[in-house]
Amino acid sequence: MTRSSTDTWTVTIVVPEESSVDGAGNTTEIEVRPDETVLAAARSAGVWLPADCQQGWCTTCAARLVDGDVAHPNARRYYDEDREAGYVLLCTAKPRADTTVVVDQYDDFLEFRAANDKPPGNSKRNR
Amino acid sequence: MSEEKTHASGAVEPGDTSTRVGAEVIRERGVDPEELREKLVDAIGAEFTTYYYYTNLRMHLAGEEDYKEITEDARLEDRAHFELVVPRVYELEGSLPNDIRDFADRASCPDAEVPTPMDDAGGFDTSDLEVEDILEVLLEAERCAIRTWSEICDMTREADPRTYDMAQRILNEEMDHEAWFIELLSKERDGEINPAGHFARGEPGDAPYTKNNPFNDSA
Repeated sequence: MTRSSTDTWTVTIVVPEESSVDGAGNTTEIEVRPDETVLAAARSAGVWLPADCQQGWCTTCAARLVDGDVAHPNARRYYDEDREAGYVLLCTAKPRADTTVVVDQYDDFLEFRAANDKPPGNSKRNR
Repeated sequence: MSEEKTHASGAVEPGDTSTRVGAEVIRERGVDPEELREKLVDAIGAEFTTYYYYTNLRMHLAGEEDYKEITEDARLEDRAHFELVVPRVYELEGSLPNDIRDFADRASCPDAEVPTPMDDAGGFDTSDLEVEDILEVLLEAERCAIRTWSEICDMTREADPRTYDMAQRILNEEMDHEAWFIELLSKERDGEINPAGHFARGEPGDAPYTKNNPFNDSA
């Protein structure tokens, strides 16, 4: 399904109870244009999610997709295994449907990348 | 007698060399010094890989002497950023990875490769390489660095003035670099005048913020 750049998808952001991110335990709905990243839309809406490079590389913004669909057209390091396992990088993720994500999954994602021998997993875990 | 040392207070026992007060004061202010240290390793990994990749990018700006000069300033200043922060990693009881491949893998910014495929002989296929493509790689590398050092400023503000001071100095220069490459890319790609507001450094890679106070000469 396609939408014009002025239409929006509803993205539901779930911050886990145990998260150290502001708003732990909260669930927030935001409207995101198809040409906009979830991270940028969230921060514009006052939901401050973790991120660093904002180029789909460092994985600081990793989240779990629990419903819906996103595309990563500009991610610099996003693998088929990530998508198949339901991980997304919110800094480059653009919605393609109404979507729900659980945020602040960086530590789990590093373990996942390490288990799949993909960077930066083992380079961080070897410390 | 240690009991008489009025300056010896807090959780670190007098004479204890296994724990650093310089790290514990950060923890007391709400920042995990180990987490910060690892973030610094990632950040200087990006500075180091950028220094490497900018060498190649500068080489391929062949015949564009003004672009090469600006790229050289950014290249050397990114190396200066690496040099500035390396001692801080060790102060916080960390170290650089033994394997440089780990260092590159964990760098917080993407590899800034020459935006062209390799040819059959293993060299760069420069037949379709455009100056504007190189400038865009340079610009996006600087933008990543701005985001990284802004994150570190956020993390250390009001908790770790020593790291904050380093991070804000680096951030100043990364913002200079972004302005340079916006100016150059705007002119080269779009024919637009978009001034950086700066002129070239006095000497290549002067690093006016990160080398203006040589407190790091002993490193």
